[in-house]
Amino acid sequence: MKKAIFGSAILKRSMKSAIFLSALAAFWTANSQAAPPSIEDLGLEDLVKTDITSVSRKSQSLADVAAAAFVISSEDIRRSGAQALPDVLRMAPGIEVAQIDSGRYAVSARGFNGRFANKLLVLVDGRSIYHPLFSGVMWELDPAPLDDIERIEIIRGAGAVMWGANAVNGVINIITRHSRSQAGGAINVGAGTQGAGNVYARLGRADQSGSSWKLSAQGRHKEPSKQYANRQDSDDRLSNAVVDFRFDRDLNAGRDLSVWANASLSTLDDLWMINPQFRTVTIPGLGPTAVFAGITPIRLRQTTESQSLVGRYRWLSDSGVESSVQLSANRSSIDIDHVIKEERTTFDVDYQSRYSFAAHDLLWGFSHRSSSDDITVPGTATDYLGIDRTAYTQRNSGIFLHDDWTLLPETLKLGLGIRWDHASRNGSYISPNATLLWTPSRSDSIWFKYAEAPRTMARAEQDISVFSSVNVTNSGGLSIPTFIFALPGSRAGLRAERTQGVEIGYRKQFSPALSGDISLYRYRYTDLRGGSLGSLYSCSPAFPGYVAGACPAALQGKAAYYATSQVANELAGWSNGAELSIDWLATPDWRLQLSYSWSQLDMNEYSNTAQQNMARFQEKSTPRHYGSLRSQWNIDTRQQLDLWLRTSGGFERYNAPYTTSIRVPGYVTIDLRYAYRFDRNLEVALIGRNLIGARRFEYISDYISSVATELAPSLMLTTRWAF
Amino acid sequence: MARPLLRRLVHRLALAICLALAIPSTFGEVTSESQLKAAYLVNFLKYVEWPASRSTINICLFGRDSLGPYLAGYEGRQIAGRELRIRKVSSPEQLTDCQELFIPETEEARVGAVLRWVDRQPILTVSDVETFTRDGGAIALIRTDSRLQFDVNHEAIGRAGLKASSQMLRLARQIVGGSR
Repeated sequence: MKKAIFGSAILKRSMKSAIFLSALAAFWTANSQAAPPSIEDLGLEDLVKTDITSVSRKSQSLADVAAAAFVISSEDIRRSGAQALPDVLRMAPGIEVAQIDSGRYAVSARGFNGRFANKLLVLVDGRSIYHPLFSGVMWELDPAPLDDIERIEIIRGAGAVMWGANAVNGVINIITRHSRSQAGGAINVGAGTQGAGNVYARLGRADQSGSSWKLSAQGRHKEPSKQYANRQDSDDRLSNAVVDFRFDRDLNAGRDLSVWANASLSTLDDLWMINPQFRTVTIPGLGPTAVFAGITPIRLRQTTESQSLVGRYRWLSDSGVESSVQLSANRSSIDIDHVIKEERTTFDVDYQSRYSFAAHDLLWGFSHRSSSDDITVPGTATDYLGIDRTAYTQRNSGIFLHDDWTLLPETLKLGLGIRWDHASRNGSYISPNATLLWTPSRSDSIWFKYAEAPRTMARAEQDISVFSSVNVTNSGGLSIPTFIFALPGSRAGLRAERTQGVEIGYRKQFSPALSGDISLYRYRYTDLRGGSLGSLYSCSPAFPGYVAGACPAALQGKAAYYATSQVANELAGWSNGAELSIDWLATPDWRLQLSYSWSQLDMNEYSNTAQQNMARFQEKSTPRHYGSLRSQWNIDTRQQLDLWLRTSGGFERYNAPYTTSIRVPGYVTIDLRYAYRFDRNLEVALIGRNLIGARRFEYISDYISSVATELAPSLMLTTRWAF
Repeated sequence: MARPLLRRLVHRLALAICLALAIPSTFGEVTSESQLKAAYLVNFLKYVEWPASRSTINICLFGRDSLGPYLAGYEGRQIAGRELRIRKVSSPEQLTDCQELFIPETEEARVGAVLRWVDRQPILTVSDVETFTRDGGAIALIRTDSRLQFDVNHEAIGRAGLKASSQMLRLARQIVGGSR
């Protein structure tokens, strides 16, 4: 038995390389005009009776896009076995996903990842879920149940013209299912290790007159994971709920109306490394002195909620102009017990029109967002958190114009676009965009792209002062800490970051079953947020540099230093990278999908030590390589076996809150899913995630220093029942 | 359980190698949804009559093209004595010599506009948008379980000045605006 498995393992390995080689050979020799397959000779009578035997391979529909794009279909989502949206995104090339704890994730495109990665824009049905407080996405809050997502379109690279400011390194468009296709009901239940439980229920109706609605709800729970350092329970118990309603009405003649109502709630605790410990020792010559003894975590409860109401009306004018207007209102809050409470109300207006005539496809639009908040920092938190303005209204407006101009029918298309944005306290920005799409044959396309995009500064970056890190030095056997506080950026006139860059890509359909694309990019970033050390004070009169009252109360009189760091637009650098994706239907019931990304950041050199350290560290904080290989196999009409091999190189993070760095190890891991369909309405699946590899953590949050958690193998059993 | 599965995996890999080595001739065995859609588009041409006869017959693909590679193999074939050509279109002016127009599901939002462009022109409109025939399109390709079927809007075909054969109507899943 053992021998047989061993033998087959060798066989498998050699076969794998054989497959790889022959696939490679196929790549370069394949004639895109395959010999006429038998299906081409079938008549209509036969077609209506033909079973679709292949692993569904919904068209990627991207041959005509002059950008590095990737589409995740609802089936890809289901077959990934992922229970949280960020885990689904791992399959896309150029998208870097790192799990922080049971609910928090760092997700970015083309580098610059972070707990609040700020260069990636995420839209749900056209509405931005980029949070204005942190300028990032709160991934712990489920924007919509995974089962309600129709597809996810990911466009890497700057896309400000069409999508607005902050689409710097990419945009993720989450498109939820039309309520018409969700008529009937469904109940999905899942239970797994780490106390994981999922429930999803949906009810919908569609009538012949063109009206339809659906109501769905999803609940998700997870017990705490283990702390990486000591394997004790962390404090990241997750409880999420989301209720989503959608109504659609087809009004004929190119007009339709859609209304979304969504409410979501997430409670997710955390351990923050913000509690400095001191012990009193008697030092000769100084007497009893409070000496630094490390930082301990404090337990915090984070409750995040959001309610939104969105309406969209699309119409067609007599002259043939297609227009849409979308209005949305959102109320949200983040409440971190004893630390900060933020309440926010946001209104969005988004108008777009499109007119196709002669060789032109013209798009123009206008958007405005007004977001008002009210932030309270209780007295218990003032030692490590402060805010300049407790209430603020951020206003962003933008207009754009874009034309796709067909220079040579079927062969050459030129895209030109321009956008003007104004954001309060960030100023006005012009973002141009130019693309050239060359399709020398029906199965090849090559694109060139030049684009610029601004990244607007978040409310927290502008107005919040926060304990950011502690630098510990040893002096005469004593640990002397310097507590560094980041000062609000608005005091230094912080403005938007700028990006400009070029991309070139090649997409090829080798045969109906094999396609691939490759893209190369080089982007220039300027005015990136950095920080230089400001004043330095001693907190104890016994040390030089003491200024009475300069230190926060908690440090007063202790053997410690207090320093400020002023954030400002001072860093710049180049980012280079390449991405590859291959999609291969190897046999009618077996599909393989490969993605690979390589990226490298080259920041400028600085004479200022703090800037230099930050720039060098930034370069090391992105994995150089990452990729995934997915296999989807329909064993027979009832059984599916899916395997997902994921891998990433290692990178460095600050061992927050300390200023020393720590290596986040690279990994190779496997997810498996086996599903059995009893009939068309009932499916049971067993899902295993992170099944192989050493004990590891994937990320350390440094924006708010928290404890690293272990990513353990997990199992989950799910049932899906439709009625 | 584990052994047979493993053995099947090995078989599968061996099969894949054979297939990979035989690329591209064996791809005919694959019946994917897109291939089936392409086959339908070509077949409809044989069951519909256009008012004026030309030497070529054009299938036009609107917007974000996804079927192009699947249709490439048919290009140049003779359909009812006319040479088949595939074209990509994105504006009304480009539709003049289209006999059949495919609007993919991903362009659903634009169905209304495109149908207005082709109004009363002798163009057979086909889409995989489920409600296409209800919206005034001629033929909708509908995925039902493991098969692909089609709905026909008889009225829309008539308004375009086309004539659908009774055989095609008989094979349709559903007919809107008129009897079989």
